[in-house]
Amino acid sequence: MTHDFDRIAVDLESRMAAGTGVWSEQEFTERALEVFGHQYSHCDPFRALCEARGVTPEALGDWRDVPLVPATAFKHFDFLSAPAPAELVFRTSGTTRGQGTRGRHHVPRSSLYRTSLLPPLERALLPDRDTIRFVSLVPPPAAARESSLSFMVGAAADRFATRVDWLVSASGSWADGVAAVWASVVEEGEPVLLLGTALSLLNALERGEKGASGLPPLPDGSRIMETGGFKGARRQIPRTELYRMLLERTGVPPERVVNEYGMTELLSQLWEPVLAEGEVMERTHLPPPWLRVRALDPTTLEPLPEGRDGVLAFYDLANLGSVSHVLTDDLGSVRDGRVRLKGRAPGAEPRGCSRAMDELMTSAAR
Amino acid sequence: MAPDLSLGEAPGRHGVEEVRAACRRLADATETLRSRPWSEIADQLGQVGARFSDSTDPLRLEALERLPQDAGLTPAMAEAVLEGMARDWRADRLRRTVEAQFAEPGCLDGLVPGDEQSYMAIGPALCLQIVSGSVPGVGVNALIRSLLVKAPTLLKPGRGDVVLPELYARGLLEEDRQLAEALEVSYWARDDEAALQAALDACDVATVYGSDATIEAVRGMTRATTRVVGYHHRIGVAIVGRAVFETDQVLQAAGDLARAVALFEQRGCVCPHLVFVEEGDGSYPERFARDLAVALGDLEVSLPSVPLDAAEGAALQQLRGTAEIVAAADGGWVRHGRGSASWTVFYEPRPREPLPTLARGVRVRPITDGTEVSREIEVLGPHLQTVGHAGLGRRLQTVAESLARLGASRVVPLANMSFPPPWWLHDGRGPLWDLVRWAEVEPE
Repeated sequence: MTHDFDRIAVDLESRMAAGTGVWSEQEFTERALEVFGHQYSHCDPFRALCEARGVTPEALGDWRDVPLVPATAFKHFDFLSAPAPAELVFRTSGTTRGQGTRGRHHVPRSSLYRTSLLPPLERALLPDRDTIRFVSLVPPPAAARESSLSFMVGAAADRFATRVDWLVSASGSWADGVAAVWASVVEEGEPVLLLGTALSLLNALERGEKGASGLPPLPDGSRIMETGGFKGARRQIPRTELYRMLLERTGVPPERVVNEYGMTELLSQLWEPVLAEGEVMERTHLPPPWLRVRALDPTTLEPLPEGRDGVLAFYDLANLGSVSHVLTDDLGSVRDGRVRLKGRAPGAEPRGCSRAMDELMTSAAR
Repeated sequence: MAPDLSLGEAPGRHGVEEVRAACRRLADATETLRSRPWSEIADQLGQVGARFSDSTDPLRLEALERLPQDAGLTPAMAEAVLEGMARDWRADRLRRTVEAQFAEPGCLDGLVPGDEQSYMAIGPALCLQIVSGSVPGVGVNALIRSLLVKAPTLLKPGRGDVVLPELYARGLLEEDRQLAEALEVSYWARDDEAALQAALDACDVATVYGSDATIEAVRGMTRATTRVVGYHHRIGVAIVGRAVFETDQVLQAAGDLARAVALFEQRGCVCPHLVFVEEGDGSYPERFARDLAVALGDLEVSLPSVPLDAAEGAALQQLRGTAEIVAAADGGWVRHGRGSASWTVFYEPRPREPLPTLARGVRVRPITDGTEVSREIEVLGPHLQTVGHAGLGRRLQTVAESLARLGASRVVPLANMSFPPPWWLHDGRGPLWDLVRWAEVEPE
């Protein structure tokens, strides 16, 4: 199995590293079916589901017919399609039902995750330059080993950062020397990339209102990566209001605030291409070519026509080491391969890396 | 922070000043209400209640027209729920409720002689009824209870239960203006802590239906002299004994249980979410689960599921898909309706970390003997309410005593789960006892 897994992974890494150019439907289908065959052979709970549905790799010609695995199932099963133990195990917040039911995503090969995340991130956040100073409101990966978001920011910093300042600890508290960091940002006058969840950015804004060192005006050319939403946190404001506050405080306009859509159960992310394409009437998210997104009828799970809102399903080749066809409870539509997010099902359990940190920060603020 | 009454909370309409004004009006009604005989009040309330069972009465017709939208129910379900609820709003049922609660109902009117002393029961000078949830009729039940003990009542209905209290108040105004002046139906926004505090400050008994957190929060906002009667979230279960199979009653039991699942769309505390079936020859639990699935499918004709919105549908797909993987690993299965039919039967031959149930979802588990159920559901104890039973025979008493000790307050045939009578021991307590205080007078 190791040989098989590594061969597919190396091949995918090579293809992903080439960038985010278009993949033909044929290429995606061939790779998707190969990945399905591998996962069918090596992931017991997934194979049990396929067998219950009467689906086998031999009889399947369309990746869309691969049984969907609900994101919730990551709370109940270890989906591992490679030899144990995995190099990384990321955990969802699972906040509503306690630590025992947090979802976990086994990542047997960190290099595949790293390779998959960098090109789309570069396209979204650094279309105009090779490197930039990072200022992160996301905890550092060494301190938050179960956070896929921390891993992503750390991997991106390794590749693209001239310098990185980690302002928030894994416990959610502010690091020492925040004021000095902001002072040096202002003094240097060089653009920075500020990264945070919606709630951590709001916390940073409010911190300033309370007299502590809050967000300063950021140098021209700066940009902000915002992710996660509020996901059930007690404090919630509309995204437009958050962006208005960020503009007011930092001078970074909404068209330079890039939203990332991701979840622990998917190793690929979708990005708003506002920096590369400029502000448009309606903000949409762009998936990388190795991730396909469909909107399905929430009642029947039948595919919906372009532009119709439904529940979002993903086929993510970066999930080679677990399961690739994932059904979320997020709502949105797909047109021309781009996703217009409508939001998360309010009745569904909130999950995601943002919430875990949100809770930490909330408790730390008490 | 204001308690979260978002589950089924009515849309905010009144502010703190309006709530205060309503409380003042109600305070003015106290003396008049107390001067009237309890039997007369019961009759007048019953007169209004009966109108909801009269197929030609405008109140009932308007209720049936508005309920589907208000409560998020299909027209057929709205009618079934109204039938079941309004049956107990008639005068004979209300008189019986008072008589079941008080050995000498005259104690509500004044002192009555006891063995060595006289005693009387006094309803609150102002009773606040906060009802959250989307089961229509609960608000009317609540306001009737407090008016029966002569308490001017401020009712904050649940979001999905606005129409019936409004119509009932209108009917009361037509029937008995004096009595109507002792009732205010009011809503305020969920984050309007000032309005809630004003209502809590004005009442001497506050009855709260809601989540555990809601009730704890209200208790935290209430003065020591105010009694808080909390009805927190609860759950129903069912036990199907082997005799059901041995006497050919399976289809009847499955049909009864399906109806209990479908009524209120599993939103009520009387709804069964978990069913234990005695193994018998080993085949009984799966057989019952299959029959239950068929019965739920059949019910879609007479009581079709409420169509789910996109978010609810997405959550249900998560649950069904996850359960399917669990079942594939454990030898169980999941059967569910197609399209908008929201019923799902989870047959779980092996115990597992439970998944939530959504919409018309119900889990079926085998058990060797019904007497073991209490041990299986020990963790549910504080939240256990109604237990439906069938086919336990002479073991019923043993099983029921064990369940009662665990926390159940109702152990009833499957067919009776959905609509308890108005004098039921609601969450283990008398519905009127909780509202009154007692005074005793010893002779010279």
